[in-house]
Amino acid sequence: MSSASASAAGFHLDVGWHRRALAFVTAVALGVVGWQIATWISDGWIPGVGEIVDATGEALVAADTWDQILITSKRILIAFVASTAIGVAIGMAAGLNRKAEAFFRPLIVIALATPDPLYVIIAILVLGTEESSGVIALTLALIPFVVTIVHSSVKARESQLDEMSAVYRLGRRRYLSRVLARQVTPALFAAARTSFAFAWKIVVLVEAISQPRGIGSEIYEQFRLLNAAEMIALALIFIVLMRLVDAVVFGGLERRLMAWSR
Amino acid sequence: MSPPYIDVEGLKASYDGSRLVLDGVDMAVEENEFVAVLGPSGCGKSTMLQVLSGLLRPVAGRATIAGKDMTGSSSDRPRVGYVFQDHRLLPWRTVASNIELVLEAAGLPRREWDARIDRYLDILQIGQFRDAWPMRLSGGQRQRVSIARALAIDPAVVLMDEPFSTLDEVTARTMRQQLVELWQESSRTIVFVTHSIREAIFLADRVAILTRGPARVLEDVEVPIGRPRRYEDAEITELESAIVDRVMGVWGYEEGTPA
Repeated sequence: MSSASASAAGFHLDVGWHRRALAFVTAVALGVVGWQIATWISDGWIPGVGEIVDATGEALVAADTWDQILITSKRILIAFVASTAIGVAIGMAAGLNRKAEAFFRPLIVIALATPDPLYVIIAILVLGTEESSGVIALTLALIPFVVTIVHSSVKARESQLDEMSAVYRLGRRRYLSRVLARQVTPALFAAARTSFAFAWKIVVLVEAISQPRGIGSEIYEQFRLLNAAEMIALALIFIVLMRLVDAVVFGGLERRLMAWSR
Repeated sequence: MSPPYIDVEGLKASYDGSRLVLDGVDMAVEENEFVAVLGPSGCGKSTMLQVLSGLLRPVAGRATIAGKDMTGSSSDRPRVGYVFQDHRLLPWRTVASNIELVLEAAGLPRREWDARIDRYLDILQIGQFRDAWPMRLSGGQRQRVSIARALAIDPAVVLMDEPFSTLDEVTARTMRQQLVELWQESSRTIVFVTHSIREAIFLADRVAILTRGPARVLEDVEVPIGRPRRYEDAEITELESAIVDRVMGVWGYEEGTPA
């Protein structure tokens, strides 16, 4: 490696927290400035930064906001756990077994190409506007993403470790839990994080279409009343919360389980 | 007369069901013997170990260890320690827990694990890396862990597939010396696959020379050199030259084949 490229690589590795914080603050500041410019040129249709800050403050102290967040978070949690569990099981089966792969592949291809609102509509047609229809629609929309990530990761596993496992007769259970699962841990995290990220994006859509309560239906309600600042404030609070959960829960767990690779 | 400890007869193997990789290999190895299997690259040496370890089912012939058939899926097949060309350790488990995994699978009592792990890591001079991650170790150290893993399960046979071929020459020489000492101390039966004639002669009691693939046994050569041996011994050089002369025509460049 040339000294120039080595120092470039070193720069990337040595970026400290203060540099990262500075980059973050700069990005946020640029975003705020860009938003304010959009406000000025939209003749007031887009609320200004000040209005959004005020609306966010009000929403944060309103008890109803937290009730709505709780309802939505519960739906996300159920759909996330169900889609991750089902998706990992199908992805592993398809990655390990050619017959399972042949069976699930076309289904997953179709599921990936299906627009998310269609899941919601079908769930409503089948189950009505019950609480469960939203969660089931959300789960169905997430499963294909998890399956795709897990399947490709299991297919790309190191066959040499399979041979080692066979020679030392680890057995199916030990192989799956101690060799394969740990080998595909980075993919499992990617699948879980993707599932979670899509969950809180799609849940808003599901709630806007089918549910009377929840952050999604509240955002839609504010949109209907043309309360743009309130609508954006709710979205902002929810985005920050979900990012926090992602960083603290998934980030922390990933750092622990992947300690060996550092 | 009792049958040999490892008994291979008329072994034929194929990966795709049509093209043979082994074409009637016959070989016998006595208990506690150190046998090297020598052959050119790609001749099917590793395939033979795969059949002996139960990884690959042969299309014909038989392979037994201690009288037990190794070609089926019977659960009473004797345990086999396998040292691959690369270490094949699980990078997310420490050195000790890599060995624990195979001890557990082998059904050895948990109370013995620590003592076994310490014993073999110490013999291989890597006791200080007991709790280290494998990827923090050098290539030679990882291969030592791999050898410790193979020995720790009390295997009926240790199969070694060119385990030193990826190491630098000095490390490889040290490890060959240690392997011989370990074998003399632990009295294991070892089948060591290599394409290096000198390595085979230095290590083994006997060298089974294979033909180019699909492999058969070309010749079985006793190594009449006392131990301890030195890698540069004149006797080793002499026998190496003799074997080179014998295999040159069989292994060498054949007209019409890619170089």
